[in-house]
Amino acid sequence: MPSARLIVCLDVRDGRTVKGTRFEDLVDLGDPVDMAAGYEAAGADEVVFLDITASTEGRSTVLDVASRTAAEVFIPLVIGGGIRTLDDARAALNAGADKVCLTSPAVERPELIGEVAVAFGEQCTVANLDAARTDAGGWEVRTHMATGRTGLDVVEWAVECVDRGAGELLVTSVDRDGTRSGYDLELLKAVRDAVAVPIIASGGAGTAAHVIEAFEAGADAALLAGALHDTTLSIEEIKSAMLDAGLRVRTTTSAS
Amino acid sequence: MRIAIFDDGAGNVHSLAKVLAARGEVVHEREVAALCDADVAVLPGVGAFDTAMARLGSDAAVLAAALSYGLACLAICLGMQLLFDRSEEGELDGLGVLPGGVQRLTSRRRPHIGWEMVTNATETTLSESGLVWGYYAHSYVCPSKGLHRVTSTSRIEGQVIPATIRSDRILGVQFHPEKSSAPGTAMIRAFLDEVAP
Repeated sequence: MPSARLIVCLDVRDGRTVKGTRFEDLVDLGDPVDMAAGYEAAGADEVVFLDITASTEGRSTVLDVASRTAAEVFIPLVIGGGIRTLDDARAALNAGADKVCLTSPAVERPELIGEVAVAFGEQCTVANLDAARTDAGGWEVRTHMATGRTGLDVVEWAVECVDRGAGELLVTSVDRDGTRSGYDLELLKAVRDAVAVPIIASGGAGTAAHVIEAFEAGADAALLAGALHDTTLSIEEIKSAMLDAGLRVRTTTSAS
Repeated sequence: MRIAIFDDGAGNVHSLAKVLAARGEVVHEREVAALCDADVAVLPGVGAFDTAMARLGSDAAVLAAALSYGLACLAICLGMQLLFDRSEEGELDGLGVLPGGVQRLTSRRRPHIGWEMVTNATETTLSESGLVWGYYAHSYVCPSKGLHRVTSTSRIEGQVIPATIRSDRILGVQFHPEKSSAPGTAMIRAFLDEVAP
């Protein structure tokens, strides 16, 4: 097994890292390139830029951010959000992304997953699953920042994504996202049992113990955002706790 | 030093180009003749086997001959797999610089994505760079036996796979040194310093 990965997610809008779910009250957190470089130095294993740029005209800004990052940051870079076509995926990869994360457009047109996987390989095709708990005890796939109902069962959709060529799944609990109350472990276990590809736990991290629980539930990687950005948590302290818990962790000499 | 990256638009070669540029002039090439003219040819690890071989086309034999006659080459991930006769990933013939076939990983968890320890190293660029962890993203592995030397290995669910291979002035790397943080970029520079001082 590879080491348990810590992935840092930055929401990028118009070339800046932002925080906030409503576009009206976005807070500027800084330059994504500087932030990615800082997280690499701290020992992050991977970086995700989630493009939440509202306008089509603003799309190219994330590509510019990607090329500047790829020239300075030498850990894997994933770009997600706004990739609707094979050409969008190509543009992201040629700009400096190592993988693309396919979001709502892949739910609306599942063929996109296969198109990207055939052209660039399954190892650079990540499918995002936004999962919301249902009254029946399962999870429903949501789209468009969790507001769109699809009626699709998350576990069945996870299997279909992999069948279509996804090489990795980003599994986001929309119920836990932003709550810092821990990842949805039952969700992770359910997806883990259904697919063989690596899965990335997302939504709910607030403590190092939450991260360790996610790996114990079968996740291959844990994605963190807010708790790192506001320095509630650090990469160093999470990795140290992971080592204490007996997980395989990539250690870096440069990490202080 | 002139360093030519085979760049067919199949993925991200930005980080790689940036690292290489620390040691010479970097050019992005689709034409085999231009690759053969460079001091160092770089086969990056992006895309799919058949797509890459189709792009090399009928000139693949020219590149294979140049490599056999001592063209220095850094071949990463898929680029390293192209050196062999064939791959289970595709239908087309590989470059055939090295004998044998590239096989699909047998691990339960697949594709193999993440950081893995690189061990049993006799590879000098590894010892010079102090690289311990390499970032992998692949589903296929090169043969362990052949005309090449396996100069380091990694272990995937009990299966030992070649992490780096050497054949004269060719360095093949299964992981992505350009994505393995500072030690990875140091490894690339160490190779360039060795083959084109």
